[in-house]
Amino acid sequence: MSPIVGSKQAEQLKQDGNSYFQKNRFGAAIDAYTEAITLCPNVPIYWTNRALCHRKRNDWQRVEEDCRKAIQLDHNSVKAHYYLGLALLQKELYAEGVRELEKALDLGRGANPGSYMVEEIWEELAKAKYLEWEHESTRRSWELQNLKESCELALKEKHMLDSSQIEGLVDENSTSLLKQLEAVGKVFMRAAEDDTPTEVPDHLCCKITLDIFRDPVITPSGVTYERAVILDHLQKVGKFDPITREPLYTSQLVPNLAIKEAVHAFLDRHGWAYRID
Amino acid sequence: MDITRRAMTSASHSSPKPLSKIACNRLQKELVEWQVNPPAGFNLKPSDNLQRWVIDVNGAPGTLYANETYQLQVDFPEHYPMEAPQVIFVPPVPMHPHIYSNGHICLDILYDSWSPAMTVSSICISLLSMLSSSTAKQLPDDNDRYVKNCRNGRSPKETRWWFHDDKV
Repeated sequence: MSPIVGSKQAEQLKQDGNSYFQKNRFGAAIDAYTEAITLCPNVPIYWTNRALCHRKRNDWQRVEEDCRKAIQLDHNSVKAHYYLGLALLQKELYAEGVRELEKALDLGRGANPGSYMVEEIWEELAKAKYLEWEHESTRRSWELQNLKESCELALKEKHMLDSSQIEGLVDENSTSLLKQLEAVGKVFMRAAEDDTPTEVPDHLCCKITLDIFRDPVITPSGVTYERAVILDHLQKVGKFDPITREPLYTSQLVPNLAIKEAVHAFLDRHGWAYRID
Repeated sequence: MDITRRAMTSASHSSPKPLSKIACNRLQKELVEWQVNPPAGFNLKPSDNLQRWVIDVNGAPGTLYANETYQLQVDFPEHYPMEAPQVIFVPPVPMHPHIYSNGHICLDILYDSWSPAMTVSSICISLLSMLSSSTAKQLPDDNDRYVKNCRNGRSPKETRWWFHDDKV
């Protein structure tokens, strides 16, 4: 789809806005984009550019408004979904914000998988997901800890009650209490396993980045790589599969949807893996 | 076991560019993996410098280099792993037909045959196997000429290597 372009005058105002923006003169840039919008209100880029200025000024309400307008005009605008996602996260509308960032990521990857924008959106998304995990896992671990203490207490009370009723079996009884307490400890440890950061399994990691897959693609040799990185390899190192050294061309790369699903499932259960070092 | 080189490019003396973000992330992962699972016979010297790894190599038992220890220096370029690291022995070097007395190593995977799926660990394993399969402790035939040509501190990555023999 070719981008919608405004009148010559409006385009000039956009250029002015861009150069103000580059000089960090966000107020002047906003004025220029506003004039461009007044002349040609149907050009989504004018809205997203103005949204970016509002973002720089932390005026998230206006970021949201401009992005929503831009999405009305072009529902495939990467920037509009991206900035809208950020604005919603600022409002602590977590699920909605993440959904917008995911939409932006999908659209951005379709357009240019290796672009800085895709990397930036991924980082924002990972940051939001990690924060959510941190928040949720703290709550979960607090609940588990409380429950564990109650269970231990109940067992000890039961033990006291039993030993006051049955005479002569005290030793046997306290051994069984220790065993039960140990078993309770194990059960609760297992319950906390998903939230305990460990290593991401190798089959979910790219052999080049050594990091969890984001956008996995598979080669005719059957090896899966991170899309942006294998594209970089084919361009800079050579037209071969990095592991099998079989000839490889960009057109042969196919999305590995099964691994993508597996990564999603893993991240849903183990939010700590969103951590970016 | 005959190795020669073709014409060499001119020397350059630029200081290394800092690691890219991708390179940095990848090296941190490699470092963690190395600490959990180091290749047998190698010992990484602790350091704060992610861009230069210094590694002790112990000759494998039952080979010509048994009970000998050498030192490797691995320097990473800005765009590692899309570019190979520079790997050299720090003199005194092991006497080997593919190792020059200035520490430069004639091993294809370090130059033309580099692949970004290789790691420091896999390089180390290849180097140890190169040492272990040696049948004579001797310098490369053209050692003196090569070393003289490198006197201005040129990197082995700027040599145009000509690999005749990939058995050793």
